[in-house]
Amino acid sequence: MSSEPYLLPNGRVLRYSFRERLVHWLAGFSYLYLLLTGLAFWSPWLYWIAVILGGATISRELHPWFGLAFVVGVSLMYSMWHRQMKETPSDKAWWASIGHYIRNEDDQIPSADRFNPGQKLLFWGFFWNGIVLLLSGLILWLPQYIPWNLRFLRLAAVFVHPVCALATIALFIIHVYMGTAMERGAFGSVIRGDVSRAWAKKHHDTWYEQLLRNSAERK
Amino acid sequence: MSQAATELIRISGHAGVVPGKGLNREFQVCKLVDTTTCIGCKACEVACLEWNGYTFSETTFDNSYQTMPETAWNYWNLIKFNEHERADGTMMLLMRKDQCMHCADPGCLAACPADAAIVQYANGIVDFQEANCIGCGYCMTGCPFNIPKFDPPSRKVFKCTLCNDRVSVGLEPACIKACPTGCLHFGTKSEMKELAETRAEQLRTNSGFQDAGVYDPAGVGGTHVIYVLHDAKNPELYGGLPKDPRIPLSVRLWKGPLKWIGNFGIIFGAVGVFIHYLRFGPKVVKEDEQESHGGTE
Amino acid sequence: MTNGWIDIKNTDMMLIMGGNPAENHPCGFKWAMEAKRNRNAKLISVDPRFTRTSATADLFVQIRAGTDIAFLGGLIRYAIENNRIAKEYLVNYTNAAFIVKEGFKLPEDGLYSGFNAASSTYDKTTWNYEEGGDFSGKTDAATASAHAAPAPPTSAMPGNASHPATLAPPPALPPNVAYDLTLQHPRCVFQLMKQQYSRYTPEAVERITGIPKDQYLKAVDLFTSVRKDGDMKKVATIIYAVGWTQHTFGTQIIRTAAMIQLLLGNVGRAGGGVNALRGHSNIQGATDMAGLYESLPGYLKGPVPDDVDLATYLKRTTPTASKPSPWNSMNYYANTPKFMVSLLKSLYGDAAAKENGFGFDYLPKPGQDCSWTHIWDDMYNDKIKGMLAFGMNGVMIGPDTNKNINALKKADWLVVGEIYEDETSEFWRAPGITTEEQKNIKTTVYRLPCAGFAEKDGSMTNSARWVTWKYAAVPPPGQARLDQDIIAQIFLRVRDLYKKDGGKFPDPILNLNWAYADAAHPPLSQVAMEINGKALADLKDDATGQVIKAGQQLPGFAWLKDDGTTTCGNWIYSGMWTEAGSQIQRRGTEDPSGMGVYPNWAWSWPANRRVLYNRASCNTAGKPWDPDRKQIWWSESAGKWVGNDVPDFKPDSNPKDHMGPFIMNPEGIGRLFAPIGVLADGPFPEHYEPIESPIRNPLHPDQSNNPLVKKFRTPFDKFGSPEEYSIVCTTYRLTEQYHYWTKNNPMNVQLIPEPFVEIPVELADEKGIRGTDKIKVISARGTYIAKAFVTRRLKPMMIDGKKVYQIGLPIHQGFRGIGEDEGRNARTPANLLTPAVTDPNAHTPESKGFLVKVEKA
Repeated sequence: MSSEPYLLPNGRVLRYSFRERLVHWLAGFSYLYLLLTGLAFWSPWLYWIAVILGGATISRELHPWFGLAFVVGVSLMYSMWHRQMKETPSDKAWWASIGHYIRNEDDQIPSADRFNPGQKLLFWGFFWNGIVLLLSGLILWLPQYIPWNLRFLRLAAVFVHPVCALATIALFIIHVYMGTAMERGAFGSVIRGDVSRAWAKKHHDTWYEQLLRNSAERK
Repeated sequence: MSQAATELIRISGHAGVVPGKGLNREFQVCKLVDTTTCIGCKACEVACLEWNGYTFSETTFDNSYQTMPETAWNYWNLIKFNEHERADGTMMLLMRKDQCMHCADPGCLAACPADAAIVQYANGIVDFQEANCIGCGYCMTGCPFNIPKFDPPSRKVFKCTLCNDRVSVGLEPACIKACPTGCLHFGTKSEMKELAETRAEQLRTNSGFQDAGVYDPAGVGGTHVIYVLHDAKNPELYGGLPKDPRIPLSVRLWKGPLKWIGNFGIIFGAVGVFIHYLRFGPKVVKEDEQESHGGTE
Repeated sequence: MTNGWIDIKNTDMMLIMGGNPAENHPCGFKWAMEAKRNRNAKLISVDPRFTRTSATADLFVQIRAGTDIAFLGGLIRYAIENNRIAKEYLVNYTNAAFIVKEGFKLPEDGLYSGFNAASSTYDKTTWNYEEGGDFSGKTDAATASAHAAPAPPTSAMPGNASHPATLAPPPALPPNVAYDLTLQHPRCVFQLMKQQYSRYTPEAVERITGIPKDQYLKAVDLFTSVRKDGDMKKVATIIYAVGWTQHTFGTQIIRTAAMIQLLLGNVGRAGGGVNALRGHSNIQGATDMAGLYESLPGYLKGPVPDDVDLATYLKRTTPTASKPSPWNSMNYYANTPKFMVSLLKSLYGDAAAKENGFGFDYLPKPGQDCSWTHIWDDMYNDKIKGMLAFGMNGVMIGPDTNKNINALKKADWLVVGEIYEDETSEFWRAPGITTEEQKNIKTTVYRLPCAGFAEKDGSMTNSARWVTWKYAAVPPPGQARLDQDIIAQIFLRVRDLYKKDGGKFPDPILNLNWAYADAAHPPLSQVAMEINGKALADLKDDATGQVIKAGQQLPGFAWLKDDGTTTCGNWIYSGMWTEAGSQIQRRGTEDPSGMGVYPNWAWSWPANRRVLYNRASCNTAGKPWDPDRKQIWWSESAGKWVGNDVPDFKPDSNPKDHMGPFIMNPEGIGRLFAPIGVLADGPFPEHYEPIESPIRNPLHPDQSNNPLVKKFRTPFDKFGSPEEYSIVCTTYRLTEQYHYWTKNNPMNVQLIPEPFVEIPVELADEKGIRGTDKIKVISARGTYIAKAFVTRRLKPMMIDGKKVYQIGLPIHQGFRGIGEDEGRNARTPANLLTPAVTDPNAHTPESKGFLVKVEKA
């Protein structure tokens, strides 16, 4: 509770602290590298990406390291946010009105807390896929240490890794879309950290109300 | 062997059509290993090392004549020994020269993501081009015979090249040249297949090996290294030669259906969000909503 | 080999016993595989362990080490019983029909007639043919009375001042042998042989060898099937190596094989014969050039002190024909005087003249056994003061390595010519010798760096008797020198010392012929020419009119003379370097007959004959037994023998004259019965147990071992009892290593990095040993430590009702080498275990079939 963002003096709301933003971008940038190099290894048509990122061999070398950086990022995000990402009873109603959400009929959507169920989905999606990507990634990083009689591990990894990667790519596409084009103000929240009160009320009403109550109590 | 035989027909991790594929080709090469006349002398092991310029390494005795447990990045062929007692109590010492099988449908090439790290020539030789290798080791996973091996210092993977450098100037592979008993033969696939079948027939008729046969597994499209086995029904007896080798299912799924699904998904996703934006636009926050909540604090 | 390597491809049946050619002669073994592939030839492997040769066999039979005579004797019995013999061949080309003297006794009790227990020797008078004539159809035993053999002379030979009166010469073969062509006479060789091996029933063979009866019968049935119902078309070969020679009865094992091959008519035939696989690239050359103390170059008999002069020597060693009178025998050794005199001329040049017996007095005449184990025993007993060891690692060879090391400790000096530091030159640093003890070793060790095989030119003679020339690939490095240069230096300086200081009888040194272009660096081509021989005067062949001028190289041994007009360093090599040039450098790849003869590739002794005794490849009319494998045949029109090989025979001898194909024997026939003068321990082989054996000999328990085998008496000559040492041990070689020097080569060490002991799974279970556990193999003489190789290729056997284990170990690791120097093994040579007992004929030690016990280390 101590890291609750405050209502800011300039009339805006602090959505994400400096620490949270830093961790997000640690995860974000490392994910970008993973995505780009991963796509290069995924498709011969995109192999050129690895080549321009310093060479294919170095990309293969660095991909797992960035993977570890990504894991650190996700782990920190987990320690920061996992409580707030827990499924709550109101999530069900939110998912029931997903049609309204997509059609931007936002007044028809029930209130969301600090993180709406969609964001929760993103969080857990990256978390669980991240774990599987880490485990399968370790196997793919050092396949020469998996002996022949344990080759089922390598065979599983080689399939599971791209499957989970694709899952994260799906989430990523939606996340980037929403964070840039779809939700005005969202991008700024993760760069400068603050959003307008209207934004906070519209998108994360329950959270905003809680903030107000907290600050009122503090008085 | 003419130049035409060494044209590329498949290139790993390569975007687009392989140049020149589909032209009329000459014969394919094949190495025949007759395990029934192998004496496990290891001349082939040494010849391979010497031809390819590798130094000798330290090994350990492990209750077998076998030089080491499996092929290594710098030890491309290895005689595998297995003491086998038949049902009638007679003894056999099975000795099989283990090396890259040069599959017609190579799992290593299928799994490799690096452009031109693995190539297949029209003559059937599957060759690694280490300059293009990124050291990911996927080829090791794609191979059903446990052949390619990784070298940590150079971070590349290596395997038998079927002496591509010798074959391309009309010589036989080094192992063939060194074999003292003539257990190794080299020629065109059809010639070697015929020789192998003749020998297998001879074994069935004259040597009491009713299950003698030729190992040329169809699951990988046939191989350019084939074996004559005393017991073709039980290839695992020969140092773990897989009975029905194929490109592993997970590799096939990954490079097959998953590719399609994934590519579609990504493209569909990217296009989809674009269309969404066109249709529904962004979520806009009305600032006047904000004012009503501003208030004095 | 009577035949050759490539010739093996012509065979229909191979018995490979006492040998493991797949591992030890992999290149030559190709021909066995060719025979299998192209002729459906069958391969029978008989060995104490299932080897890589056995892996290619059609039939493998495990045998107890040292019981080969039992196996082979039983095979003779089976062949006779089942009429699988070559009848016409047997009667006409062997001594089957010869009648043996009365008084000859077979060794049912383990001893032949004439045994002297006090001296442990045989009086072989009764081991002889009966004098007489044609007794065909007459089987009465009273044949001897009318044709008594001349009594051995009782008067002593006239002596001279320096040689005391000598004993009477040994009895000779009768010139006119009694014979029975019906083979029925009870004392004809055939009946005696049949009687001898009647005891070798399948049950007896099982008791002795441990081979279950049905398995044994399968093997002998298969081998003899080539002669089913006496059919002569097919051929069988017997292939062996030191698994047969390294026993105290090794020579007799080979004799049994020779008898089988004669019985089955396989000698002289393509794809047949008795084929020894020599263990080194030029050991054939070494023995041809008298690397054995008892012979002179070309297998002439070495002189003994009783040979007071050349005439006496020649009388003793020149045989006279001995045969049925209607038959002919070329008796080629009747030319011994020509060979000997020509040899003496090559040794002593002009100093060899008729007046001084051509320098015969210059030859050393050993009065004792100077064979390998005696050398070490004498050194231990302070009789030998120093040793020159050239490429001969005596400490590793053993037997009884500890004895050899302790012998060297007593020597004054040791010179080792080698390409690396071997155990012999490092004997004083053997494991177990403390620095304190080293201080007390007074032996001066000289190390001479020698050239390696790729740095020397010269000739090599392979098992097939093919003499080829080899060329140096690179010069010797650093200070290493060629062998001939070292020997030349030693000789020239010794000669100079004798010239300067005189000495006790320096004549042989001063008069030794050393007429090379460069005395200190004799070109080996000159040596080869010297060995071939040349004319010292103009020679003329009256029959053909051919003339050889003085100084010209001789075309062959037929030109040798005993009057000093020819010189020849080794009569069997005469023909290898003629006026036409070096025959041994020829590389003609033509093989018109397709039988692997390659008449223009190199040159084989004698006279470029590829298959010895090839006249026997034809019937008595001179027609080949198998028209599809024609070697030579009689051409009536040409009046001589013609064909695809050089006839090993008198070329113009009409078959009607019944000349025997075995021209080197005085009888002209192949010997089933080996009469006096041939072997020390018996005319027929008899099964004797190895000196260390788990059982007493079931055939005659009171005479278990070869009665002529002697034991040495140093503290190191210990023997173990089967109660304490219950396991039979054999030693062997691997493909990947070559004797004791490849442990210095990274390539070989990679392939076989460590020493091991092959032990049966059952024995391992009993002792709680797992594969790669370190174990000790202990004999009465020493302890060998290595990792256990637990295998199913060595099964326990029931020997005379007793369960016996056999184990085996390779000999290659010692106490100096790549692994040894890195401390990767226990540094124990295999020959720490072996006993210094030898075969009384060839003096080969019993390195296979001794007793040990096994413990976890």
